[in-house]
Amino acid sequence: MGEMKTNPNDASSTVKSKGKKTKRVYITPKTAPYYFLAPSMLLLVIFTLYPVISSFILSFQSMKGSDKYFIGMANYVRLFKDPVLYKSLSNTFQLLIVQVPIMLSIAIVIAVALNSASLRYKGFFRTVYFLPAITALVAASLVFMIMLDENYGLANYALSLIGVEPISWLSHPFWSKVSIITVMTWRWTGYNMVIFLAGLQTISPDLYEASDIDGAGPIKQFFYITLPQLKPVFIFTVVMSTIGTLQLFDEVYILTGGGPNNVTMTITLYLYETGFKYFDFGYASAIAYVLVVIIAVISWIQMKLVGDSD
Amino acid sequence: MADLKLVNIKKIYDKNVVSVQDFNLEIRDKEFLVLVGPSGCGKTTTLRMIAGLEEITEGDLFIGDKRVNDVPPKDRDIAMVFQNYALYPHMNVYNNMAFGLKLRKFKKDEIKKRVDNATKILGLEDLLSRKPKALSGGQRQRVALGRAIVRDAEVFLMDEPLSNLDAKLRVQMRAEIQKLHSRLQTTTIYVTHDQTEAMTMATRLVVMKDGLIQQVGAPKEVYDKPNNIFVGGFIGSPAMNFLNGKLEEDYFVMEATRVRVPEGKMKSLREQGYAGKTIVLGIRPEDVLEGPVVNDSPDTKIRASIEVSELMGAEIVLYSKVNNQDFVARVDSSCNVVAGETIDFAFNLEKAHFFDEESELRINTN
Repeated sequence: MGEMKTNPNDASSTVKSKGKKTKRVYITPKTAPYYFLAPSMLLLVIFTLYPVISSFILSFQSMKGSDKYFIGMANYVRLFKDPVLYKSLSNTFQLLIVQVPIMLSIAIVIAVALNSASLRYKGFFRTVYFLPAITALVAASLVFMIMLDENYGLANYALSLIGVEPISWLSHPFWSKVSIITVMTWRWTGYNMVIFLAGLQTISPDLYEASDIDGAGPIKQFFYITLPQLKPVFIFTVVMSTIGTLQLFDEVYILTGGGPNNVTMTITLYLYETGFKYFDFGYASAIAYVLVVIIAVISWIQMKLVGDSD
Repeated sequence: MADLKLVNIKKIYDKNVVSVQDFNLEIRDKEFLVLVGPSGCGKTTTLRMIAGLEEITEGDLFIGDKRVNDVPPKDRDIAMVFQNYALYPHMNVYNNMAFGLKLRKFKKDEIKKRVDNATKILGLEDLLSRKPKALSGGQRQRVALGRAIVRDAEVFLMDEPLSNLDAKLRVQMRAEIQKLHSRLQTTTIYVTHDQTEAMTMATRLVVMKDGLIQQVGAPKEVYDKPNNIFVGGFIGSPAMNFLNGKLEEDYFVMEATRVRVPEGKMKSLREQGYAGKTIVLGIRPEDVLEGPVVNDSPDTKIRASIEVSELMGAEIVLYSKVNNQDFVARVDSSCNVVAGETIDFAFNLEKAHFFDEESELRINTN
């Protein structure tokens, strides 16, 4: 039996490797992963790492024409005295506190409904709810702008049918925020729903059966089984939504442009305007770094708050 | 404590897949009833119908005197232990056990009293604050039992509760569940595919196959008088041997081999018209003898060629061929046979069973 073991494949491979022995082998199982990683790492360095470092340096500089010169912490000092920055920070946090809970609540309810065994056409509903997340933001925002138009919009037309006075959706200090929240919720609820749905599918059906027998109805099952089991997914969506909202730009840029009177100005929109409208790139970079710090701190607090108990 | 009655219970799934048919059974108070059968025989479905986790397609289910077909699980006064325990991962041991009581709005001190009691019975005192993740398989199993105990329900339902444990732990938990039952005296319905579990634990067992009850009876009764070939082969390990042959005069004949059928049995077979007919002889591996006895009873001798011999310790299990039919014998380990040898077995034909070839039913011969 021992002699029979060497099969023809083995033999040919030894011959091959012997023939190649003189050549230097650059791609080995050890080095191969780096070759595969190289292209994306290169792109990362050029388009992410370099701008990150460069803008950090820029945040300590000022520009006169095309000349850059260091001004130390002046940009950051200016930040702390800037009323528009405070306004945009406050706006962003208002949107965050109102929009994220609303959106995640809706997303969780829809996900639970779509996960129920008795529902038919699940695929259809899933697609419909997810569709906004893959729609081009600019196009979607434009459609909303048309629908929310004060004089010709669908929203006010619908309201007029039930005798409600037209609302200045995009220029009223309160309603413009409502409009922004609506568009954000429309766009991101389905995205979060899909994440929740994935989380729901990992919960063992046994737990529901066990709680059926223990005496829990659907509502109690939701609060005692579903929610606790979704906790890790929930933390993920909260953190991601918070980061997303803190970076809110497209919707406000197209719908309100930050107006009226800065009531919908967000940090990133302010950053954009500072940089590309007033060409104050140094100051814009400083805003960017403040935002980075804020996001890092909030994400860390959220993970600590909800993540530690387990 | 309660009696259960299942009347013509039937379960048919969507696409006309019949899982359980015409299930009729009365389960007495304090009984430890085991449903046993190969996978897909409908035993778990039956249990889940009793639990209320599965709808009953046809028939009536009574717990006590009440028809409970349309009663939701929580109002059936049952407690269930699941195959993979189904402990709530985010709750500690105490809360896992207390959850059902909390939902039923029990007073705090009553909950504590009951959980403490169950904890003591199961030896879980030191683990109350642990989450299921931090428990071993056996400990999880105990918590699952504890969750059932605290409920003080009329009926315990157990769905293969030991199948996820390793062999040693399984034997240990088997004994613990039996102790628990003799202590609490709660009517228990236990599902398993393991015939050893069924034999050792049951006060009565129900052997199922393809959604049909094959036999109901005390373990000894089922073992000694299997209703049909399936039950004979399923209960007992190693399984019963079945040999096809013909009844000629006073002998059971397979080609060149003939063994003498004891007078009493032969008489009974003849009376039932099996003389001269083909028939199936069933004999358990432990009713086969080897060695000197053989020489004393030439009429019950059978020649077998050994294919595999497995030493179990006190005994040897011999896998062999008798007239090209598989044959297993369990003999004393002093027997020195190895694979490839040919030896003579003697049958203890007093203990043999005869089955009708067509209906596969056991022919009553005593």
